[in-house]
Amino acid sequence: MPHRLLKFGLRRHYPEPRMFRAPAELKPEYDVIIIGGGGHGLAAAYYLAKEQGITNVAVLEKGYLGGGGTGRNTAIIRSNYLTPEGARFYQASVELFQDLSRELDFNMFYSERGHFTLAHSPASLRIQRWRAAVNQHLGIDSEVVGPEFIKHAVPEIDLTCGGHQAPVCGALYHPPGAIARHDAVAWGYARGADRRGVEIHQKTAVNDIEIRDGAVAGVHTDRGYIKTRKVLSAVAGWTTHITDMVGLRTPLVIHPLQALVTEPLKPWLDNIVVSASLHLYVSQSSRGELVAGASLDPYELISMRSSLDFAEGLSAHMLDLFPCLGDVTVMRQWAGLCDMTPDFSPIMGTTPIRGFYIDAGWGTWGFKATPISGQTMAATVADNQDHELIQAFNLSRFGRFQLVGEKGAASVGH
Amino acid sequence: MNKRLPPCAGEWIDRNRTIEFRFEGVTYQGYAGDVLSSALWANGVRMLGRSFKYHRPRGIYSLAGHDANVMVENGAETNLRGDRLLITPGMDVRAVNTVGGLRRDRLRVTEWFSRYLPVGFYYKAFHTPRRMFPFYERQMRKAAGLGRINPSATSPHTPKDYAFCDLLVVGGGPSGLSAAISAAEQGVQVLLVDENPQLGGSFLWQHARNPDARRELDDLLSRAGELENLSVRLNTQAGGYYSDQWIALFDGQRMTKLRARATLIASGSIEQPAVFENNDLPGVMLASAAQRLLHLYAVKPAESVVVLTANDDGYRAAVDLHAAGVKVHIVDPRDTGEPSGLAQAASAAGISIQTGTVVQKAIPVKGKSGICAAQIVRTGEARATSSQVECDGIIVSTGWAPNAALLYQAGVKFRYAEQVEQLVPREIPSAIFAAGRVNGVYELSDRIADGRRAGLAAAACLGKYGGEIPSAPIHQGVVPSHAYPVFSSAGNKAFVDFDEDLQLVDIVNAHQEGYDNIELLKRYSTAGMGPSQGKLANMNAVRILAKLNGKSIDETGTTTSRPFYQPVRMALLAGRRFHPLRRTPMHAWHVTANAEMIHAGAWMRPEYYHEEQKSRSALILAEAVHVRNAVGLIDVGTLGKIYVHGPDAAAFLERIYTGRFSNQRVGRLRYGLACDETGVIVEDGVVARVAADQFYVTATSSGVAAFYRELQRWAILFGMDVQLVNATGHLTAMNLAGPQSREVLEQLTDLDLAHESFPYLGVREAEVAGVPAVLMRVGFVGELGYEIHVPASYGLHVWTAIMKAGQAAKIRPFGLEAQRLLRLEKGHFIVGHDTDALTNPFEADAAWAIGRGKSYFVGSRSLEIVRRRPLTRRLAGVVFSEDQRTELPQECHLVIHKGDIAGRITSIAPETTLGHPIGMAFLHPDLCEPGQEITVRIDGGKAVQCRVASMPFYDPEHTRQG
Amino acid sequence: MKSLRCPINGPRPLQEFQYGGELREMPDPDAASDEEWADYVFHRNGGPAVKREWWYHVPSGTWFIAERDNQSDTVVRTYLYGRETVHE
Repeated sequence: MPHRLLKFGLRRHYPEPRMFRAPAELKPEYDVIIIGGGGHGLAAAYYLAKEQGITNVAVLEKGYLGGGGTGRNTAIIRSNYLTPEGARFYQASVELFQDLSRELDFNMFYSERGHFTLAHSPASLRIQRWRAAVNQHLGIDSEVVGPEFIKHAVPEIDLTCGGHQAPVCGALYHPPGAIARHDAVAWGYARGADRRGVEIHQKTAVNDIEIRDGAVAGVHTDRGYIKTRKVLSAVAGWTTHITDMVGLRTPLVIHPLQALVTEPLKPWLDNIVVSASLHLYVSQSSRGELVAGASLDPYELISMRSSLDFAEGLSAHMLDLFPCLGDVTVMRQWAGLCDMTPDFSPIMGTTPIRGFYIDAGWGTWGFKATPISGQTMAATVADNQDHELIQAFNLSRFGRFQLVGEKGAASVGH
Repeated sequence: MNKRLPPCAGEWIDRNRTIEFRFEGVTYQGYAGDVLSSALWANGVRMLGRSFKYHRPRGIYSLAGHDANVMVENGAETNLRGDRLLITPGMDVRAVNTVGGLRRDRLRVTEWFSRYLPVGFYYKAFHTPRRMFPFYERQMRKAAGLGRINPSATSPHTPKDYAFCDLLVVGGGPSGLSAAISAAEQGVQVLLVDENPQLGGSFLWQHARNPDARRELDDLLSRAGELENLSVRLNTQAGGYYSDQWIALFDGQRMTKLRARATLIASGSIEQPAVFENNDLPGVMLASAAQRLLHLYAVKPAESVVVLTANDDGYRAAVDLHAAGVKVHIVDPRDTGEPSGLAQAASAAGISIQTGTVVQKAIPVKGKSGICAAQIVRTGEARATSSQVECDGIIVSTGWAPNAALLYQAGVKFRYAEQVEQLVPREIPSAIFAAGRVNGVYELSDRIADGRRAGLAAAACLGKYGGEIPSAPIHQGVVPSHAYPVFSSAGNKAFVDFDEDLQLVDIVNAHQEGYDNIELLKRYSTAGMGPSQGKLANMNAVRILAKLNGKSIDETGTTTSRPFYQPVRMALLAGRRFHPLRRTPMHAWHVTANAEMIHAGAWMRPEYYHEEQKSRSALILAEAVHVRNAVGLIDVGTLGKIYVHGPDAAAFLERIYTGRFSNQRVGRLRYGLACDETGVIVEDGVVARVAADQFYVTATSSGVAAFYRELQRWAILFGMDVQLVNATGHLTAMNLAGPQSREVLEQLTDLDLAHESFPYLGVREAEVAGVPAVLMRVGFVGELGYEIHVPASYGLHVWTAIMKAGQAAKIRPFGLEAQRLLRLEKGHFIVGHDTDALTNPFEADAAWAIGRGKSYFVGSRSLEIVRRRPLTRRLAGVVFSEDQRTELPQECHLVIHKGDIAGRITSIAPETTLGHPIGMAFLHPDLCEPGQEITVRIDGGKAVQCRVASMPFYDPEHTRQG
Repeated sequence: MKSLRCPINGPRPLQEFQYGGELREMPDPDAASDEEWADYVFHRNGGPAVKREWWYHVPSGTWFIAERDNQSDTVVRTYLYGRETVHE
């Protein structure tokens, strides 16, 4: 047993202090207001304080920390993206993740499990090869493997899909593909930001943003008005609420993304398995539950309702691939919101409104970008200039018809 | 079965059928109708499971599946719930999650370390040094999880059922029965579901010894039986409510998807634990569980019990237990007011009662496999003043929580009502109703009245009742729940969540660390996250948090409830797994001809045709060579086929495609390239003008459905007079190609095939093999060729006729791979293969396909903007020398120039009719000059050289297809 | 929303429909500036609102407009394009 746990058994009083304060009052003015107390907003706050020396920062969260996409995703982390811009960005994120437990002194359960993207057709396999080629060019560990390799790693898999689907003919294998405790990422950043002086205000909703002469002047909250000249919106599925406040047009459309979890099982699935053709991704959590998801819900909806169609479809595809799971029971299903862009790349950085910064368009990939989006957005807010890693993701790319084609590879992407 | 009681009226067991079964390797007997938990308890077995984290012994707690104490596996299935698992002859089960068996479980040592494992301990350690984490993680993963999967299991395809009703009533207890009857009496079609094998709900166990209640139930049952429009499904759980009255019902064998017009939830309430030390050990159980044991299974819960109660229900249970010969001592934390009628009855029966007193701790026997005493103390007094009462059971009845999962899912909002100390519905959406205990109504007569009220309200909502709707009963009696059933101050081993081994102290500590709202608390402590989804944990967690924060329950809030009410087997959700597959009319012929059939989207297509002793690549090349030198036939039945009629047809197609069609002559074909509004290529095909106002267009196999949809939408938006027919399914097509194709075809048609009468890019309607056909002279494989479109039902006939007519020319069928090769040799890009999700016509080197001087087509305005930007890539041909064949790039390998990505191979053909490998690639425009040497990085990082070449590679003058 | 009323076929299960995105007014391609055109092509009104949307009934091949609240997922009314003033 690690010696760090000894104190809990030996002390009379529980030795842990609050991880984050709950400030009673909002200050009249902050240097930076971050809207959204999810992983991205909290990470941005942390890096603003730590790396940019800006500590007069408030994070405003209308609900509770990590209550949006951060706490609702299936916690997969990887960098085997298709576009060089995407792969480079997510690789930087993976590198931050790998050291994050130490950095924040909070065990995120960052666990490298190996990530398979199954291909059920030659067409799909060539896309995986494209990703592998781009990844390898950038030094990312990623390769195309054959059916025997997959079967060896995941013996329970039925590569023929029971004849229900085209058989698996290969996969993109990404050994560093990892999972982590998603909530812990938000809490760890929250604690780190709090210790550096950032104020975190939960249950504080932003009702309006005041723009004067094309620049941010302040924020109206349900607890009063705050002056500020810089606002970072990091609210993913609620971004369109915020951009409507400032009159900013974006391509974002919100779709729900659903997931489910089974009852806990003894460990059997080491890897993360994704099949685009089957609209399925699954991994086994450290608690033993299978955590699985499917593709986006097929129409725009700003609601986190569950659907039976999802549970049915996902179960059917799960059994196509893992016929031994018929008697395994589904415990719970839920949904999150995804802010989708036309090219599946995020929208990050400066905007035509001075002092208004956007961190959005995460679609289904927000969690894995948490550390790097925090770090690059912190630099962007501090310098009022897009960080080099995110220049390709600026909102203006659509007006320039210069999209970043991450969609090329993904009908399902996790 | 030494704990079995004499027969009692209404018991669910059949004493004439003794069943032998095995648990943990020991053989026991029970009766048909027993669940595993009741049968074991009847045999005096107390330890039925081990807890998740500390591996503490556990026994019966709710006997209703509301806890997850008793989970077993049988080698095939796992995580089976003992409370709901009927015993069957020969059943052989073991508890999940033990090492070395339930009794000797080696993991029970975990508890010794529990003081070092505070709430969220795994966040606080194991991550430094980083290299050690994988080791710790492996240990923790092994310890976590419950049952093991059976890797050799298969999934039977279970059917799904659909059902419809006016009103679904969930729960067949007093209020549900009453509601169902009241609604049905008004002519409403009612479906009543209950998860138990019999109707009656708490009538059957809570009021089993009350003859008046029995009569009431009999009366309700007989009234229900007489109503033809009231149907009942037993052993059926409503697993989830989805929007618009869509409900998933599960009966263990199948899922029924029910569409109701209104839903009435009478699902009762779930008895809640009291929090005291060792409140989880075998022998401590809910009063409702004790009554279920007594009345449904005729099993004595214990010999001597302390009943800890703060309501009438506990007194009722105490009287029941006393009557069954159990020694009973009642402990009641309440200290004020007149004793209720039931309390007086208990007292009259000679049961000792201590008010103002609570159970603070259960004293375990050695090994914690049961209890031997209850430590009791006057409320508010120190532990020092405690005393012990010997007992082998502690029966807990300190309160209830609404069984409200479906109501939450249906969007009902709750408030806390002090007169019942429970959450009750505050805001109910239309066509949703709640009745009985879930609605905060507790007295038996009130519940029946509330059921009637809700049933009539539902009937009124459905337009079947116009009379008065009685108002909801207001609870007058004893408060059924204790406001704070937490009787342990220290909080160690005083469990709030049994699934997660979560103690009171863990909640207190999590709160101290800042997890002070219910959602954060739940996530940090994992309260309510286990297999029973907080049915016994959430309410107490909210009460404790409210107290810690000094706030009300309403201010504290609750967590939401998501499907499923109880875990559901994936096989039931998956159903029969209907995956549609499309086959062309010639499919059977291909199979007979030994074709390698491959999936192409939803279609099955021949990839190539096998011949003995020949390799795949040799066969593909042979098929292609045969097309070049003689004649071949390919099934292109999967092509999209669309008719466009109407006066505006030509103008319409001009707006759809990049090219010109208004000046196209009847009987002629043109290439059609379509973009989306951003200027990205989305489709291509041929456009045949078969009459002045009629076009026949083809589209890609995988793209046609979406393309046709978009055509329809554009036709509406443009307001043009065109009609569209998607003929993809009712027509089929084949392509006869090769220098000898004319000789083959002329045997089957009267059409004049002479070049002058039916030139290249001509379209004709004629009979082929006696079947009306559309014939198109296309040349996409680069040879003389005819694409023949016929009604699908005649496809096989025409195909076999052509194959027969071609015998002299040694015609051979060719597959998808040979076609791809032939097209590549002609330099034709394939949409979606050589192009990607962002490719515009300039990049595809297809600017020639954009009609000159056209004003508008879909994508034109965007292309105008794109055209002014510098081109960043272009499709170009690449060639390799013959000796490079062993080390060729594969499709999607990258072109590297000066260390950077400068392109990507999109197509490659190692074996070609030209003798040397060729390919197509996206290249930086600076690298597109024919003759330019480029470098491709292949697998393993090796660099391969090739040269840019102009396309087509084969017959650049197009002399052969014309 | 689990069922949707097709103006031609009446209420049908949602599985029979395909979502076609928001109904958007195309600016005059000849008159629009590059910015206006790019805005039309890429940008959306993604915020919460009752929106006019394209829906397609797949079995019958019918496009129609649904006015739908994108938060509550309730449909106010459906009609064929250009026929919103016609009472059913």
